[in-house]
Amino acid sequence: MMLAELDNNSNLPAGIYYFINIMRDAFVKNQVRRYRQLQGRDNRKIIGTYCITVPEELIYAAGAIPVRLCGGSYEASCIGDELVPRDTCPVVKASVGFTSLNPISLYQMCDAVIVSTTCDAKRKLGEELSNYTEVWMLEVPHIKDTDGSRRQWIQQLYTLKKNIEKLTGRKFIGRRIRRKALEDSIGIINRARYQARRLYEIRKSPAPVILGREAMLAINAYSYDIAFEWTRAMSELNDELEALYHKGQFVCSEYTPRILIAGSPMIFPNWKIPSLIEEMGAVIVTDETCMGNRYLYDPIGTTEKSVKDMMVGIAARYLMPCVCPSFTPNEDRLYRLLQMAEEFNIDGIIYHVLKGCVVYDFELIRVEKIMKEKNIPVLRIETDYNPEDIEQLRTRIEAFIEIINSKKRKMKEA
Amino acid sequence: MKCYAGIDAGSTYIKVAVINDSTLMGYKIAPTGIDCRKKSREMFDELLSDLSLSPSDIIAITSTGYGRRLIDISNETVSEIMAHAIGAIWTAPEGSKIRTIIDIGGQDSKVIVIDEKWETKNFIMNDKCAAGTGRFIEVLSRVLEVNVEQIGPFSLQAKTPCQINSTCAVFAESEVISLLARGKDRKDIIAGIHRSLAKRISGMARKASFEPDLLLTGGVALNPGLVAAFEDELMMDIYVARKPQLNGAIGAAIIAGNLRGKS
Repeated sequence: MMLAELDNNSNLPAGIYYFINIMRDAFVKNQVRRYRQLQGRDNRKIIGTYCITVPEELIYAAGAIPVRLCGGSYEASCIGDELVPRDTCPVVKASVGFTSLNPISLYQMCDAVIVSTTCDAKRKLGEELSNYTEVWMLEVPHIKDTDGSRRQWIQQLYTLKKNIEKLTGRKFIGRRIRRKALEDSIGIINRARYQARRLYEIRKSPAPVILGREAMLAINAYSYDIAFEWTRAMSELNDELEALYHKGQFVCSEYTPRILIAGSPMIFPNWKIPSLIEEMGAVIVTDETCMGNRYLYDPIGTTEKSVKDMMVGIAARYLMPCVCPSFTPNEDRLYRLLQMAEEFNIDGIIYHVLKGCVVYDFELIRVEKIMKEKNIPVLRIETDYNPEDIEQLRTRIEAFIEIINSKKRKMKEA
Repeated sequence: MKCYAGIDAGSTYIKVAVINDSTLMGYKIAPTGIDCRKKSREMFDELLSDLSLSPSDIIAITSTGYGRRLIDISNETVSEIMAHAIGAIWTAPEGSKIRTIIDIGGQDSKVIVIDEKWETKNFIMNDKCAAGTGRFIEVLSRVLEVNVEQIGPFSLQAKTPCQINSTCAVFAESEVISLLARGKDRKDIIAGIHRSLAKRISGMARKASFEPDLLLTGGVALNPGLVAAFEDELMMDIYVARKPQLNGAIGAAIIAGNLRGKS
């Protein structure tokens, strides 16, 4: 298992263990004591979320705790396999699997879950989950640049706000999301995003101080942690990594092929692809996925501190910078990928397509085209959470890294 | 004498080749079985005694193929993609300018596009199932009760090849069974199987934007029916590698000896 492998690596930065333990508590020990503590005497509500378009600020502001439930578990996807159509993506299969059988208690603890209608599978996911739990659908517009969709989106967020208030409010005494609480929660999550951006900045260094599979795990752990605690741990990790950089303690040389992961999310514990890439001698320096860079990058900007203004700010943050391929047109994603390729000095892109995820596969054609112009090779990998194809994938990834290495060698000679 | 060895531990067969600076000195091919490490060691030892060489004569060993990481006698491992690209330096027929290699293995098939320096430019591999692999032919030949060696000559005698639409080994099997049930001639069915395989892999080749000349490697290349099907499908001549089964092992040996420049 991935966590055991990580533990055996004695060169891990000390700060990473906090994140490993979060994952271990959630998936291995199935430990929910933390959450019970957080619920406390006033029985704070836990709200599950299924997409990065769900504003966690609203949940925190209402005194509830958000948990991002997208779990990349093969076992859960096998359970879900029997409940949803065969060609559904493994994310949805695992979500249904986790909820229907509750192999990890976190799912059962949620008082309600929020599902965004980003793609066809997600739209139907909500209906399936409603057999087991309370579901609130959040209708995300697919075209960003019209007044209608912006109006619709903000209306959706107000409805969501009302739902959350209803759930968290005590009888007779209305407990609403108040101005101060909202301002605080925006601050808390902006600080988390700041630390995440810092980690990405550190990963831009010519010789990396942290492997991608570990950095990605740390970011992924945000899903199961409380924002301010995660921020504290991330800030410690960042300090440590900066110190390592100044001491010149790198995890690999500056000649190691630098990989950008794009496409469908790598969701813990499905760490198959990141592990393979780094086992075969490359390093993942960044990613463009909804479990990484896209999740925790852009902060919310507000001008006045009125609830209305903050709601507009939240709405803008969760819609405009999001480059999920469920939006159309989505030229922004190509610009972002080009920008990342340059900033992180990328040698190659591994484009991950989860079986059944059509929108990501569609955009591959455009990504390949623009990257060809920049002479950056792109390897498409289609897979699911099943470990059966690890050796085939290894061959592909190894050959891809060999091509990059020989290209780098030629450039060095020239 | 400077000798180098390459071990291609494939999913179905292990191939061991020993070369010196200019020639293939000897080789061995045997089914992989369950213990690929032990088997390849045995084959290597036998090959050395056949060639009356001592282990110290072998300067370096490189392994490739699915079992490559299990081979403990090798000095380094390379991916099959690289091994096949380099192997073509020795196995391509004289006078050809190979730019694309199609290797049909037991578990997967690959299209490798190379440049004039034999460096891989692009490659594409089939997905994780047996569609478009040697296994596909193996499974279907069993249904048709034909030896794998016979199916090539058989298909060349076909009059009106059948249409096999499925590329999935399991679905194609039921398709073949239904063709038999309709009383179709076995030879026509075999020709249809070859067409179906050639169609799928040609699609991969087009996706990888292949360039001529094309070299076919892997044991399946010994099947003249399949070569003909490829030529029909791509509407061009196809070169068959000399010792197509050994292409990967020879490539690995060339890499072991770092002999790329001296083709």
